[in-house]
This record gives sequence, structure tokens and C-alpha cells, in this order.
Amino acid sequence: MSSTSQKHKDFVAEPMGEKPVMALAGIGEVLGKRLEEKGFDKAYVVLGQFLVLKKDEELFRDWLKDTCGANAKQQGDCYGCLKEWCDAFL
Amino acid sequence: MPFVEDPAHLSIARLKSDLLAHNVALPPAASKKEVYVELHLKNIDQKNAAEFSSDDEEETREAARESSGFEHSRDKDPEVTQMPDPSDLTDEYLREALLKHGVKAGPIVASTRTLYENKLRKLLLHSNGDDELYSDSEEEQEKRDDIESACSVLEEQKPEEAKKIKGENDKADLHFHRRDYSYQQCFLLSSRLRAHPSRNEKPSSKSLSKNVTKSSERSKSKSSHILAGVSKASSTGQHSGLRSGTFSITQMVQEMESRGSLSDCTVKELNSSRVGEHCSRSYRFAMNDLDKSRSTDQSLYHTPKDVHPPRGMKLPQESGKPILKDLFPDTKPTTTGIYVTPRRPIKGAAQRPVQYSYSYPDTLVSPVTLERREVERRLVSIHIQILFFFFVACILFYIYVNVQDSTVLALLDSFSHCFDKEGWAFLQPGTEGTQAVCKQD
Repeated sequence: MSSTSQKHKDFVAEPMGEKPVMALAGIGEVLGKRLEEKGFDKAYVVLGQFLVLKKDEELFRDWLKDTCGANAKQQGDCYGCLKEWCDAFL
Repeated sequence: MPFVEDPAHLSIARLKSDLLAHNVALPPAASKKEVYVELHLKNIDQKNAAEFSSDDEEETREAARESSGFEHSRDKDPEVTQMPDPSDLTDEYLREALLKHGVKAGPIVASTRTLYENKLRKLLLHSNGDDELYSDSEEEQEKRDDIESACSVLEEQKPEEAKKIKGENDKADLHFHRRDYSYQQCFLLSSRLRAHPSRNEKPSSKSLSKNVTKSSERSKSKSSHILAGVSKASSTGQHSGLRSGTFSITQMVQEMESRGSLSDCTVKELNSSRVGEHCSRSYRFAMNDLDKSRSTDQSLYHTPKDVHPPRGMKLPQESGKPILKDLFPDTKPTTTGIYVTPRRPIKGAAQRPVQYSYSYPDTLVSPVTLERREVERRLVSIHIQILFFFFVACILFYIYVNVQDSTVLALLDSFSHCFDKEGWAFLQPGTEGTQAVCKQD
């Protein structure tokens, strides 16, 4: 099992509230900026997209790639982060 | 629609589903098949020919877009002639198309639309590519087409399961799987029918016998009718057909393994219920009674007493086990094809029960360890000793560091004071004065 980053742990530890999109694991400054330009300025908006895609891994990863150009690792990190958050709080 | 087929060959349910898929209003529930066929021909086949007429305005608008999409895509890409370009489909059509490929799509909104379109494209490419790989000859393709349509009977009854399987595995694998299964089915059924054409009295059976008289190749293609007939026919009418027909048990075993819930009724027909019970019970008894059976001169295969094997039943083994028959001529054939040859229980030399000469202690421990354990139990454990030592040392250190000289002297004086009065008197044994001194303070 791959270990999770500190960012991941921090995000999954509590309800996301108004955290910015850069608080998501795998989303750094550059990707965060791109997402914000597309209108996904808060983490919960990305969560919304994740849920609309019915938490499907493949679709969400494709969407991330199309929207902000995330690579495979970043996609995986973000997906894992959101999935775990949903398991814990949703 | 990947295959262009005559709607008259489809079942009513299939026609209904096709009409629904193309958003055509269904005729009233009790209408005949011809009505459905007409609608199907009118709407769907026309659409295939790039013409579409519908009732609703919305549908006409979308349909116009779609029909143009049809022509456009056809010019562009000859491979995708059967399916329109996903980007030209409406949300509903897109969802239907994805569902056909086994993908349960979520809401198709602006942000998700492109994703689902791409997904559909990928699925179309896969399915097209696989179909081409597996098409051997025209004849084979025809048969496959027929069986595809025939298997729609099955699809009705387990649509979700089949589609899930489609979605998860390769589509071609499923085709093969289903074809194999339907071929097996056909072999069994056609063999059964050949054996007893005279017994078919019911109208459904009549159609079956007609098929048998045709060439065997065509009978395969009519497997749909056979399947329908089988599912409708009652078990009693067909039982007797089993006894003396060419009956393959191994194929039945394969069937039983590969089938789903639908097949239970057909398998029950093929298996007489008594035989099935007999076999399972006999297998179980064979395993359980290994220890009990002491008689070595009797047959090695233990037959249960309460089950009477059916007399007239001869089940010739196609893929027989000749070795077993040579070694154990008494073994009775089982319907599951599992032969149990129990091994004699190993008890000890010369069939004597094993008796242990001395009893082992519960724990295998040397006497030295036992002694050590005894000792340790008595004494205080070493860890506690060390802790206590450090604790006392800390207290003394604390006292040494914190207490000032004056206080020490004061303490000592007070101690000596008390000690002089009581302590010394206490120490002197046997004096009456001690008690008097003690009482003073």
C-alpha cells in the first residue's frame, strides 16, 4: 500500500469547509491556479465534480487531466484524497 | 444497432427495447407483434437509412441532428457506420449507448459530457476491433448473428447481469462464452430431440422437431426457438427423453458451471431430481464414512443404503474413465463425474489402533526452565527492583539538592529530640520507664 502524504492526511483529517483547491493532495500551485481559472476555486467544487462523476476513478482522472493537465501521480493522489474524505465524512 | 437484422425475427420484448432506445412511443400493451415490427421498420430502419420521422418536436429536432450526424459520420469514417458520432448524440442517447456497453453513466451535464463521449468512443473502438478479430468466415458470422439475436431471449431475463459482464470483461469473450454455452445447449437439445422425436406432442415441441429434421447447421441457428421451447416445456414431458438418449455428462457439468439462474429450470429437466440427490449424497457419504467402514473385503466405494439407483438409467461416459473401471469395476457412475475412491484409513501398524505409551505434557518445557519459572514467581521481578532503586535514588537526590543546611539541622534536631525521648527509651528493653517516657509525649 502506498503511503499517503502529509497533505493527504491533513485534508482527510477534518471536514474541508472552505479550504482552497490547493489543499487537495496532488494539487499544487500550478494546477490549483488552472483549476481556479476554470471556476473550481474551492475544494468543495472539485468534490462536487467528483460526486457528479459518481466517484468513478477513471472518469475523475480523465477529467482532472483534461481540466488542469495533471499527471498520473497527481491524478491518483487527488482521487485518493477525495475518496478517503468521502468515506470519512460523506 | 450493430447488426442489421429483420425485425420480424426479433421477439416482442426486443422490439420494445429497441423502440425505447430510439425514443419511439410504444403502442398499447396488448398490441400484436406486427404492430411492433411495423414501428420498428418505420422508425429504426428508416433512421439507419438517414431518414427519421417522429411525433414530438424535440425529437424531430434532435433526430434531424442525429440523422445528419449519421450521414456525416458515414462519410468520415467507414468503420463507425453502425454507430453515430458520440458528440452528435443527445444526453439520453448517449446514456443509452453507454448502457448498452455496460457503463452506468451518472448525470450527463456540461462538465461530464465530454468525458462520457470519450468513453463511448473508446468502447466503440474496442467493440469494433474485437468483432473484426473474431470473424472467421461469413458463415460463422451469420451463425453468430443469429445466435446473438437468439440470445436476446436470455438477455431479457438477465439483462443487467449480462451487461455487467460485458462491461467488465472483453465483449468478445462474452460472445464466445455465450456462443459456447449456446452451442453446448444446442448439442444437448438436438441430441435429445433426435433420440425421441416421437415424444414431442406439444406444439412447441413440434417446432423443435421440425428444426431437427433440417440440417444440423440450421438447427444451431434456431437455438433461440429451442431455448424458448425448453423454458416453456414442462419437466415431466421431457424426462423420459433423457434415459436412453445420447447423454453427455461432462457437457452437463460444464453447463452447470457456466450457467446462471435461468438455466436452473433446464438443468432440472435434464437431471432427474432423484439422480442429482443420489449423487450428492453418495459423494458426501463416501467422504464421511471413511472412518466408519472397517470392512476391507467389501467394495471400496461406499454406497448409501437409502437411495435406490434408478434401474433403467445408463449414462455412458463420453470422456470415460477407463482406468477407474478397470481397477474398480464396482464403481457406479455419478452424474457429476466425480469419482471417489476412498483410501483406507491409516491407523497404525497391522491395523492396530495407535496408543500412546506416555502422555505428553501440555507444554514442552525443559526442567531447567521450570525451575527458573518457579524462582521468578517467588521473587519480585527484576524490572520492579530496578525501578524501585531508581525511585529511591531520585528521592534522595531531590532531598539532597533541595533541602538547605538550616532545614537539615532543624530536621535532625527534631528527629533527635523525638528520638531521645521515645526512641532511646523504646530501645531499652524491659524497663518500666519506657512506657512512662512514651506516655509523657
